[in-house]
Amino acid sequence: MTFGGHMIHLVVILFASVFTENILLARFLGMCSFLSVSRQVKTAVGLGFAVVFVMTFTVALDWLAFQYILQPFHLEFFRFILFIIIIAAFVQFVEMVIERYSPALYQTLGIFLPLITVNCAILGASLFMVIRDYNLAEGIAFGLGSGIGWMLAIVAMAGIREKLTTARIPAGLQGPGITLIIAGLMALAFIGFTGVLSGR
Amino acid sequence: MKKSPQQDKLEALLRSSKLSACGFLGEDKRSLWEIIDADATELERLGRTREDVAARMQELTDQAVPALGDWVKVGKMFQVCVDDNRGMIPCPWPHAVRCLKRITTIHHLKTGKTVRWSDLNIHLIKEHGFFEGKGAPFRIEPKDLVDSIFAS
Amino acid sequence: MGTIIIAIVIISGVGAFLATLLVFAERVITNYGDVEVDINKGDKKFTVRGGGSLLETLTNQKIFIPSACGGRGTCGYCKVKVLEGAGTLLPTEEPYMDAQERAEGIRLSCQIKVRNKIEIEIPGDLLTIREYSCTCEKIIDYTYDMKQFNLKLVEPTSITYTPGQYIQLLAPAYEGSPEEVYRAYSISSDPANKSGIELIVRRVPDGICTTYLFDHLKEDDTVRVNGPYGKFYLRDTNAPIIFIAGGSGIAPIKCILHHMKNTTIKRKAVFFFGVRTTKDLFLVEEMKQFEKELADFTFIPVVSQPEEGSDWHGATGRVTTVAEEFLKRMPTVSDCEGYLCGSPGMIDSAVKILADLGIPEDKHYYDKFS
Repeated sequence: MTFGGHMIHLVVILFASVFTENILLARFLGMCSFLSVSRQVKTAVGLGFAVVFVMTFTVALDWLAFQYILQPFHLEFFRFILFIIIIAAFVQFVEMVIERYSPALYQTLGIFLPLITVNCAILGASLFMVIRDYNLAEGIAFGLGSGIGWMLAIVAMAGIREKLTTARIPAGLQGPGITLIIAGLMALAFIGFTGVLSGR
Repeated sequence: MKKSPQQDKLEALLRSSKLSACGFLGEDKRSLWEIIDADATELERLGRTREDVAARMQELTDQAVPALGDWVKVGKMFQVCVDDNRGMIPCPWPHAVRCLKRITTIHHLKTGKTVRWSDLNIHLIKEHGFFEGKGAPFRIEPKDLVDSIFAS
Repeated sequence: MGTIIIAIVIISGVGAFLATLLVFAERVITNYGDVEVDINKGDKKFTVRGGGSLLETLTNQKIFIPSACGGRGTCGYCKVKVLEGAGTLLPTEEPYMDAQERAEGIRLSCQIKVRNKIEIEIPGDLLTIREYSCTCEKIIDYTYDMKQFNLKLVEPTSITYTPGQYIQLLAPAYEGSPEEVYRAYSISSDPANKSGIELIVRRVPDGICTTYLFDHLKEDDTVRVNGPYGKFYLRDTNAPIIFIAGGSGIAPIKCILHHMKNTTIKRKAVFFFGVRTTKDLFLVEEMKQFEKELADFTFIPVVSQPEEGSDWHGATGRVTTVAEEFLKRMPTVSDCEGYLCGSPGMIDSAVKILADLGIPEDKHYYDKFS
């Protein structure tokens, strides 16, 4: 492939992971924080940025660990444990760094970091990267795209839920009930992107 | 379910007795948002908005303030008394609102029912839709409140 | 077999490596070393280990900044002027600051961390505040909801305050209130007695601290207070004095009256003391005694709603209304100074009446405890 062809391929992966294969709405990963931290757009944006950041970097780190530690020793089946350890350590490290050097950033983004250590979307992105046999650049594009896709979904959901506060909702559907229905409708809408792009 | 850090912090503060003895949530095991949602549903069933309710509460309080702690007859139905205590209590939500520690008691002459609220209650209902958790000292049942203050 | 050993070695190796990295990073990144704190441009300087919040650092140095929420960034009381070394305003502080405060560099001391040399400015009287450990010597019942607490100082053994000031009392954790809190109470005792203080407290329904004082505190228990605070004290002039107080608001005025007696101040003074019913009246005998001992002091108790069948012959009505009626007949009323203590509602209406009588607002003195 030429250099230009490479770039286009990466852009395709990026867009595919944002829209057609949105990790949240197509794969339903990271639902937990999606349902509970989507009451306000402001918080959702903060959490979204934290996910974008962490996902991009952990996919890259996990790719390196997979390529240079697990594969040479034929220990691919250990990727779950190793990836989780790496994600946890990375998040801890980043939290320390931004708390020290940017208190303002820490207040907007840093406080969400502990929440996403255990977010399944983060681990999911790394595992997809392995299944699909991406190289490092493709992995980073995929991590970044998935993060943006996740953020897009949660911000959209928060926007809808802010409007919902003034709507009349039957008592039995309040809270998680209506949120799940909306998530389903959003997922249906995203099915409209199917076949437009494929990151594989 | 996971909660955002701000939400966690707020709920921890409401549960603690840092601002008010026994906290704002009392024995209530439900999460803050469940409490708020449940009371919002109840209020809607009663056909009132929280703005209506808060405005009426404020009106009753204001009418009794000049009496400096004595019972005042408001309309034909109520006796109202506002008891002032020194100091201010901050709203637990993260914004710069502080309320006087002023407690309004209304006594309904016909039904003999008594409801009381503090200035902070009015703010919490109006701005945050929060009637406090069951078992908290200043919990107000939306039904009792609406039945009393709108009675004629 | 070989695979198992390799797997264990690899996973533990990676785990150990990352753990070491984190420990090392923590040492380097979260270590701020020794940091200098400079208060009021060199008035007081000390060096502390960096990393803690400013509020906590100052409290450890026995400098008490008022705070109600215990450093959670929700009460907005612990404002401090930072001249240098606090960084930019944090999102958690923004809701509490208006434009002027932002321009002056006012910060919430519980939110900012001491990371490098920091210069702050605080009111000078905060530096004289000490913490006192006391024993509760005696509890006197005045009325059904009013008590006096006599505290004897243990460490330090003496206190100096301006008559009229208040202290903050620490209510420790007790059943139903798992965290300790501070609340403010005026000192009511004779300032000549420096080895103890007396407080007059009215029960606040479901109040954290008054519930502790009324239901849990016993004689001989240990109590911690800090202070003194407040700008409510007798101004050094010759103007006649109007005292207006309701309920426990009598406390700082009693203290000022003791002071006037001790220093033989001969100023004309009149004291309107408002309560709801005759059952709420207390300290009347002591006030009558002051009338005899002071040069020109009149005590006027006012009952707003005397019980039916009670033999009350004194003034009846709202304390502010009675005061207004009385003062209207005083020819030189606009030369007076007004000293007010009571509920915020009472103070508001008293301020209005004094202003209507022609007493300028800078001659009204009160502490709202806010």
